[in-house]
Amino acid sequence: MIDLNCMGERCPLPIIHLAQLIRDTPNFAKPCTITLLSDDTATWPDLQAWSRMTGYEVHKIDELTFEILAK
Amino acid sequence: MGSVTGGFTSESPLHPAAREILIEAIDRGWADPSKIHQPSRELALLLEESKTLIAGHLKVEAGSLHFLGERNLGYLLGISGLRSPATESTLFYPTTSRSEVIAIAEADRLASAISVDLDGSFICPVGGEDDLLAAAATNVETGAYSPDLSNFQGRIFIDATADPLASLPARFSSALWESSSWSGPQGLSIFSLQERQSWRNPLPHLDHEIVPGGFNPALAIASAVAFDAYVKDWNSRASSTLILNECLRSFISDEIGDVDIASPKTGAPHFLSFSFLYVDAQQLVDRMSRLGFDLDSGSACTSANLEPSHVLAAMGRLTHGNVRVRLHSGLTKNDLLEMLTALKIVVEDLRSNR
Repeated sequence: MIDLNCMGERCPLPIIHLAQLIRDTPNFAKPCTITLLSDDTATWPDLQAWSRMTGYEVHKIDELTFEILAK
Repeated sequence: MGSVTGGFTSESPLHPAAREILIEAIDRGWADPSKIHQPSRELALLLEESKTLIAGHLKVEAGSLHFLGERNLGYLLGISGLRSPATESTLFYPTTSRSEVIAIAEADRLASAISVDLDGSFICPVGGEDDLLAAAATNVETGAYSPDLSNFQGRIFIDATADPLASLPARFSSALWESSSWSGPQGLSIFSLQERQSWRNPLPHLDHEIVPGGFNPALAIASAVAFDAYVKDWNSRASSTLILNECLRSFISDEIGDVDIASPKTGAPHFLSFSFLYVDAQQLVDRMSRLGFDLDSGSACTSANLEPSHVLAAMGRLTHGNVRVRLHSGLTKNDLLEMLTALKIVVEDLRSNR
């Protein structure tokens, strides 16, 4: 499990940093997950759209915490 | 370059024919049309002619139309004025409605938001005869047309401010249009009340007037002239606009990529909203503007309140990297390709710097 702290970052930075982290983590495979922390209001709608476009599964844990599952 | 058409933003310059009439009407339209002096009578007649012309293009009865100086008042008159006193009655509205509609719904005693799909379409509720449905004929951001509303049993308010030529449901109670949507002057809206008997004025009032006064007669006269010109122009360019729309869609998908196109293919062809993954919209709009191409955006970083477009979020579309393009009259395929080529360079550059 990898943590990604994007608190204080505004869109599109959380999604950009998430994509960079996946790109830089060659062994990001099942059952590995990323826990993203973000307080930007656009993060959850954008994570869902990003999930539809890239095929990664995403979950909202609470208002500030999101989980991204490896493919 | 974009300057030929006033750019790709939602605003467009006043139609030249309307501009000429507007200047003349300011000279002639100074009288109070409600008085009985000769200049007042002449102006009242001119306003009636303008109303009849506009009604003809909107395909509604001229008697149901009212000129309105303030657009947002039209939402209050059209929605709140038709709310039934029955305590159990509900106001239905899609989550992609204009923020003015959402503000009224949030202040309503019983409102129900209708969720939309990826194309911005929704399943029309059946409702009861005391219920009210507020729906846009065309979505102002994406150009998505309203689905069939004929199943709804109650009253219907139609927000037609985005696109004057969108088809209206066979039956509706009230509707609102905006002059600038047909390249007419800004600062004038048109309100239609079809069901007078179920309407109650939501504003403080002492008379039986449906709308408060306070519109500029010169704007109304110029607006009718602009509408005439807009309809003639649209009839000759509807099919070429569709070709430009398809050209834009294939370019951004094939030549740029990682793009989420929010506008459905079945919507109004002169509206296009799309979002580029991993791109900051503020930087994109700024860079494009410096290259001479003016674009709108619904992304949070470009809005005054730093909230992303509620329309994109409600549809489940990407809210960052968003661009809205309006295909105005006079735009050629070369103009469009010039803008798209610049867009490709800017998007690739912004993505390479991340």
